[in-house]
Amino acid sequence: MKKVLALVLTLMMALSLVACGGNGSTGGDAGTAAPSSPSTTTTAPSGGDTSGNSAAPALPETIKIGFFAPVSAAAASADGASAINSAKLAVKLVNENGGINGSKVELVDFDDGLDTTQAANIAEKLAYDDSIAAVVSGSYSGPTKVAAPIFQDAGKLMVSAYAVHPDVTGAGDLIFSQSFPGAVQATGAAVFTAEQLKATKVAIIYVDLDFGTTQVNAFKAKLAKDYPDVHVVFEQGVAISDSDLTSVVTAAAASGADLIYSVNYYEQAAEVLRQVGLQGLNIPVLGTEGADSWMLLDIAGEYANGLYITTNMNRDDQNEQTQAYIKNYREEYGIQPDMVGASVYDAFQVLFEAIKNAGTDSAAMRDYISGMKNFDTVTGTLLYYNAEGSAVKPIQVQLVTNGEYHYAGIVDDAQIIDPANY
Amino acid sequence: MFLQQLINALTIGSLYALTAMGATLIYGILGILDIANAGAYLVGAYLGWYIYYGTGSIVLAFLLSMLAVGLLGILLQRAVYSPILAKPHTLSIIPLVAAVGLFTMSSDAVRLICGPNSKAYNLKFPVETLRVGNVVILPAWLMIFALTAVLLVILWFILNKTKLGLAWRATAGDAEIARVCGVNTDTAMALSYILGYGFAAAAGIMTGILYNSITPALGEVPSYKMLAIIVLGGLGNPMGTVVAGLIIGIAEVFLSVYTAIPIPKDAIAFVVLIIMLLVKPDGIMSRKNKV
Amino acid sequence: MSSAYLYSILATATIFTLLALALNIITGYAGQAMMGIAAFFGIGAYTAAIITTNGGNFLLALLAGMLVSGIFGAVLGVISLRLQADFLAITTIGINFVMVALFNRLKITGGTLGLTIKKPVLFGVKMNNTYFFYMTVILIVVLCLLLGKMRRSWFGMALASINNDPGAARSFGINVSRYQILAFTIGTAVAGLAGGVYAHRMGFISSSDFAFVVSIQAVSMVVIGGLGTLRGPIFGALLITSLPEILRFADDYRELVYGLLLVLMVRFMPEGLIGDDSPVWSALMKLWRKFVPKKKTRADLIAESVEGGR
Repeated sequence: MKKVLALVLTLMMALSLVACGGNGSTGGDAGTAAPSSPSTTTTAPSGGDTSGNSAAPALPETIKIGFFAPVSAAAASADGASAINSAKLAVKLVNENGGINGSKVELVDFDDGLDTTQAANIAEKLAYDDSIAAVVSGSYSGPTKVAAPIFQDAGKLMVSAYAVHPDVTGAGDLIFSQSFPGAVQATGAAVFTAEQLKATKVAIIYVDLDFGTTQVNAFKAKLAKDYPDVHVVFEQGVAISDSDLTSVVTAAAASGADLIYSVNYYEQAAEVLRQVGLQGLNIPVLGTEGADSWMLLDIAGEYANGLYITTNMNRDDQNEQTQAYIKNYREEYGIQPDMVGASVYDAFQVLFEAIKNAGTDSAAMRDYISGMKNFDTVTGTLLYYNAEGSAVKPIQVQLVTNGEYHYAGIVDDAQIIDPANY
Repeated sequence: MFLQQLINALTIGSLYALTAMGATLIYGILGILDIANAGAYLVGAYLGWYIYYGTGSIVLAFLLSMLAVGLLGILLQRAVYSPILAKPHTLSIIPLVAAVGLFTMSSDAVRLICGPNSKAYNLKFPVETLRVGNVVILPAWLMIFALTAVLLVILWFILNKTKLGLAWRATAGDAEIARVCGVNTDTAMALSYILGYGFAAAAGIMTGILYNSITPALGEVPSYKMLAIIVLGGLGNPMGTVVAGLIIGIAEVFLSVYTAIPIPKDAIAFVVLIIMLLVKPDGIMSRKNKV
Repeated sequence: MSSAYLYSILATATIFTLLALALNIITGYAGQAMMGIAAFFGIGAYTAAIITTNGGNFLLALLAGMLVSGIFGAVLGVISLRLQADFLAITTIGINFVMVALFNRLKITGGTLGLTIKKPVLFGVKMNNTYFFYMTVILIVVLCLLLGKMRRSWFGMALASINNDPGAARSFGINVSRYQILAFTIGTAVAGLAGGVYAHRMGFISSSDFAFVVSIQAVSMVVIGGLGTLRGPIFGALLITSLPEILRFADDYRELVYGLLLVLMVRFMPEGLIGDDSPVWSALMKLWRKFVPKKKTRADLIAESVEGGR
């Protein structure tokens, strides 16, 4: 009985500790005080939603922006580094150019370790910190998906940079997504496959995650609907951890395919390219934004040449923003930027623009971002945000020649590129 | 395609055998599931990369990296594992937690020191790709077969033809009796670690060459897959480990290519393992008939 | 520190405490190496989540998660009779991988997209982290009371004897198989309950939430705290789940320091920080005795007289 008593005492101590912690802060309680409906708390101040054309909004001296990325998780650390590097670069550059209407921007960054429970903790911390103006997620689907409803409930705006889960923005009106949902990109890939590459028998190798399955489903759906002559002759999922793709590529080639559609991240896509090259298979490969990394070029070497990818950044874009980003990133970090980094950088540009014109009130920023049109970003022209909060922009097709990504085409059919149509 | 897939399977199977050999040698003596062996594999691959780029010699990369990581193994055995095992009633999951800590440290130390981005070995082979009819054999695969064979012969020689090996076998048989008979069991443990970690380092470099890429996450898959292989091989039996590595390689390739089995390769290794264990609860080779 | 942040950490910590206690029933009390507890955590999580997303009652869903997980656990218990120590450990790892593969593939579990779960409403209140925390604390207290009772019962004695020496236990007429299966069933059922709470507290689950690393984490909690005690897993779980947040000061070295702490703790206190033979616990007990003199029980008197006679 003593042991039980000791236990109860310990628990009571823990509880009292919590109670003390709770007394200190007022607005932070996640309890009953938290409103269930965001629209009731985040009513815009009068005149705040007439974006842009009114006088500059009053801004605090320093504008803090929350940020989280999978920095310490070994499997995601390359993307984590790209994300945090670009976030720091975005903040550094905006401050060097005089800040936002004279206000300094400060980055409050966290490492989520690619762990959803850590992401939940970070989100609770940022969501109820009144000094944080808004948040950018530089993380994968899991952490972003867990964090989104927490920010929505707390009335804090979040822009997700590159998480691919199709339902991230479903958490509410304060959650925006800067990336293509998988379906958009894959539908573009299907069109490119049939009309430009003129392939008729496609072998699909995909990563067995939301990134892979959403794209495979959309790709096949588009082919079935509009291009009945193009057949999928082989289809195999591989675990994200699997580095040996030799047997899969052998089997894909044996299926008689005239194109391999590789819906993998850069490491596996590089291995697909190497195996195709080393085994002398002579089949073209079409990749996705997951293959958009200088590390793919490094690993696959000469075998990368001839790879097509669908992505959001056009390296040959003469747009000032894009070239300046590539140049600045290389100067700052000594390596080439990738899709992940560019998407994070863009998420910050969107936020900066919103704060500049609408201030730091969540509802005002939401209204401003919802109304943004033809905004120039590193990843091309952001046409508009759809009703779900997803960015709508053209799909870039890049071709690797001489070990570099170059322009190979663009898919800008309005029907295809709006994620609302899926 | 069947012949090609068989060669693919044997390649990956040999690599698995090489990868799990270190953990087997350690289990044979200390009876612990040393997940940190995958850390040795990771550190070995990175050390090898730096040596290769520093000296231009891949042979030197293998030798120096194996030696350095092997010595690190002895250090860890002396500083961490032996003191834990010296306490009475130590369940095998207790040193396992220390091993998990060491593995976490190795992955993160590599990330912090060598950077999170992947590195490519870009090794140029002196031989061309072999083509016989439709079948392709890559130089890297030949290297794996050769290296696995050479290392196994060395291992066989050390264990069977040297005094050190005798001590190892005696200790693996029964540590208590060996100690009573005057066998230096400490030496046997040291041998386990220098060979165990050295083998892991060689497997790491080999993997880096085969896929032309090393990242801080390189050790994650081996950290659990090597457990399946050493168990299937009969826990602590080097010969069994080779057979088990090949079985897992063949099962993974053929089940994933020829059947619509809806589970990834990682799980296939364990499904094979579970079925085998239910049929033969001591593994495919019991501890009695070791090399 | 805002209370939202604190309650978020506490809600996670208490859920994992429940999981660590579950593992402790199998590994600590019955001495069976279980390294795939996350599979059962996942079975409970998905079962409960599927029920509430289809309009089912939250509490009933938790019960169902517990039940389904316990049934799977009983089957594993039967299998465990055939396998010794490390073979069992690896088999349970295998079960973990197979279950994660199924979670990632089956339609009912949402496949690769996982499941999005609405926060449940209990007695008319929308559950948040604060409520999840209190609820889990209540579950822990109830579980500890039951476990305390169980350990002093015939069942507890039987488990302890199986843990010490299965052969001897059998010769005393203890039905080893039955108790071992029972330990697996109860342990996995509690893990399933923890999973159900976890799913609803997170609001989103996908297969990677139940990966092998989570099983390893649970093992670390139990070992670090002290195997086979009640306080050990509780302390271990609270420590291991809050370490990532406590260590934020270490910045980029956080993960490295975490690994180092694991090694140091096991290296210097392999019996657990507050396990039965640990120096920390002995010192604490000594201190406690100083202020609260122990009432001698009959067993103690007998033990003393035996020791005195030596």
